[in-house]
Amino acid sequence: MYTEKLEKIFKEIGSVSMKKYITIIIIFLSVLLLISGCVNNEEASQQKITIAEQYGLAYAPVQLIKELNFLKAADPDLEVEWKQLSNTTSIRESMLAGEVDIAFMAIPPFLIARDKGMGWKIISGLSESPLGLMTNREDINSLADFKTDSKIALPQPGSIQHILLSMAAEREFGEVDRFDEQLLTMSHPDAMNALLAGREVSAHFASPPYLFLESREEGIKKILSGREAFGGDFTFIVGVSTEQFYGEQPQNYSNFLEALGKAIEFIDQKPDEAAEILADNYNLEPSEMRDYLSWSGMKFTSKIKGLDKFIDFMAAESYLEKNSYQYSELVFEENLAGEKAISEEGASQNEE
Amino acid sequence: MKSKYKQRFFWGILLAFIWQLTAVSGIFSELIFPGLDQISIVLFKSLQDGTLIKQIAFSLSVIAQGLFLATIMALLFALTAYFSSTAAGLIDTLTALAHPLPGIALMPLILIWFGSGRMAILIVIIHSVLWPLSLNLSTGFNSIPDIYTLIAKNYRLNKFEFMYKILIPASLPYFISGLKIAWARSWRALISAEMLFGAINSLGGLGWYIFQRRVFFDLPGVFAGIIVIIMIGIVVEDFIFAKLENKTVKKWGA
Repeated sequence: MYTEKLEKIFKEIGSVSMKKYITIIIIFLSVLLLISGCVNNEEASQQKITIAEQYGLAYAPVQLIKELNFLKAADPDLEVEWKQLSNTTSIRESMLAGEVDIAFMAIPPFLIARDKGMGWKIISGLSESPLGLMTNREDINSLADFKTDSKIALPQPGSIQHILLSMAAEREFGEVDRFDEQLLTMSHPDAMNALLAGREVSAHFASPPYLFLESREEGIKKILSGREAFGGDFTFIVGVSTEQFYGEQPQNYSNFLEALGKAIEFIDQKPDEAAEILADNYNLEPSEMRDYLSWSGMKFTSKIKGLDKFIDFMAAESYLEKNSYQYSELVFEENLAGEKAISEEGASQNEE
Repeated sequence: MKSKYKQRFFWGILLAFIWQLTAVSGIFSELIFPGLDQISIVLFKSLQDGTLIKQIAFSLSVIAQGLFLATIMALLFALTAYFSSTAAGLIDTLTALAHPLPGIALMPLILIWFGSGRMAILIVIIHSVLWPLSLNLSTGFNSIPDIYTLIAKNYRLNKFEFMYKILIPASLPYFISGLKIAWARSWRALISAEMLFGAINSLGGLGWYIFQRRVFFDLPGVFAGIIVIIMIGIVVEDFIFAKLENKTVKKWGA
C-alpha cells in the first residue's frame, strides 16, 4: 500500500525510474548508519582520556598535570590526549560530540549548556582569579562614563565576562543590558592588541595573563574588577565532565580527580617549583611566572564559590530557564569540591 | 523549468522526512540533532520578534553595498585594462596575486587596518567579488568579435560611445555570469566574516545570529539561521538571476 503510493508519486514525477530513487535512498540511509557507527566506535575505547586545554593562567593546575605526568603516574596504561581548543563554545561542542571527556571553563557557559539539557556536571573548582575591565580612555573612570559608541571587548556573549558586566550594570544602573549594544566579541589576545593600539576598542574585560600585561602598560587602567562586579569572591574556572564519562569510566574519572587534587596542592605548596615548570609553557620568565601565580586574588582551590549567585542572576535575567538546581544536579557525587548543599554554600559565601 | 521545482519539492520533502525520522528515532541526542518541529518553532519565533528580520536586513544591505561598489570597481578595472596595455599588465598582476586569496585569510590584517565593524565586512566582500568579476569582464571585453569594433570604427564612435553602445552590451553574458560568481562568493564571504568579526551594536547579520545561537547552546536556532541562508541563496539564484538572464541575454539571443 505504502509502496504503491510512493510509486504513484514517482510516476507523477516521471523521467527517472523507481529503482534509481530507491538506490539513492538506500545510499542515504547507509551513510546515516555509518555516521552513527563512527560515533559509537569512538566512545567504546576505555583506556583513553581526552582533556581539553586552554591558554590562561587560571588553567595552571591542568598544565601541571600535563607537565608532571600525574595521570600516567596513576595508571601507566592510560592513554591521555590533550586537545587544544580555542574557546569555550568549541570545547562544549566537542564534549557533546563525545570527543572530549574533561574540560575547564567558567561557571556561566557551563550553566547555559546544563540548562539546555547537556548531561554534564562539575568535577571540582580549579581557580579563583582577578578579572578586570581595562580601558585605554582617559575620560572613562567608571562604568557611567561609557558612551554608547565606546566598544567593550570580551570573549563572547554568555561568557563569565559578559555576565559580570551585566551584574555590574544591573547593580549600578538597574539595566542589565545597558552595555549589550556595544560589546565586541574578541579573543583575549586580539582584544589586548586592539586595546593597546587604542583603536576600535575602548575597554577589554581581561583575565590573566592579559590582565597583568595590560595593567603594566601606561595609559591603561582598571575601572571594574571581577570581584566588584560579582559582589564577592567567586570561582573563575571549574572542571567539568560528562555524565557518560563518569558512568562508563569510573576508574579513569577518579584517577583524574586524584591527579587534579595533586596538581592544585602542588601549586599551593610549592609555588616556586610550579612556576619553574610552567614558565616555558606560558612563554614567561620563571620569576614573572611566580609573580603571576601569586598575584593578589589568584588562588588555586578546588572549592566552588558563587555557583548559587550565578544561578540566581542568570535565571532572573533569563539566561537560564530553570531557576533552582539541586547541588547534586550540578556537581558529581565524587568530586573535589566537598559535599555542600548549594544554599549552605551561598550562606558561607555571604559571611566572607 | 516546472519539473525542476517539482523535483526539488519532492526531494526536499523526502529529505525533511528522513531528517525528522532520524531526530525522532533518538539515534542522536536532541542536543546534536534537533527535530524540524523545534527548528521551525525557533525560526518562527525569531522571525516574529524581529531579531532575525533585523539581521537579514543588515546582511542584505551590506552585501548590496559591497556588490555595488565592487561591480563599479571591476568595471573600471576592466575598462582601463581594455584601453591601456600598461594598466592591463598591472591589473593582471594584481588579480593574479589577490584572486586566489580567501578573504578570511586577510582577516588579521583587516582587523588591524579597518577595525572590526561594518567596514571590515565590506572590505571582505569587495575583495571576494572584485577579482573574479574583473577577470570575467576582461574576458568578455576581449572576446568581442572583430566586426563589432570595426563597425564602431565605421561609425566613428568615440571611446565613451563605443563603451556604452558596444563594449558593455556585447559582453553582457560574461558580465552576468561574473555577477553570479560574485554573488555566490560574496554571500559565503559575508556569512563567514560576520561569524568572525563579532557584533557591532548587536547587529551583526545572519552569520552573527548563528554565532550567537551557538554560544547560547541553541542548536535549533543555529539551524534556523542556516535555513534562512539557504532560502535567500535559492531566491537570489533562481529568481533574481534567472529573471535577469531571461530579460537580457536570452531575450537578445546573445
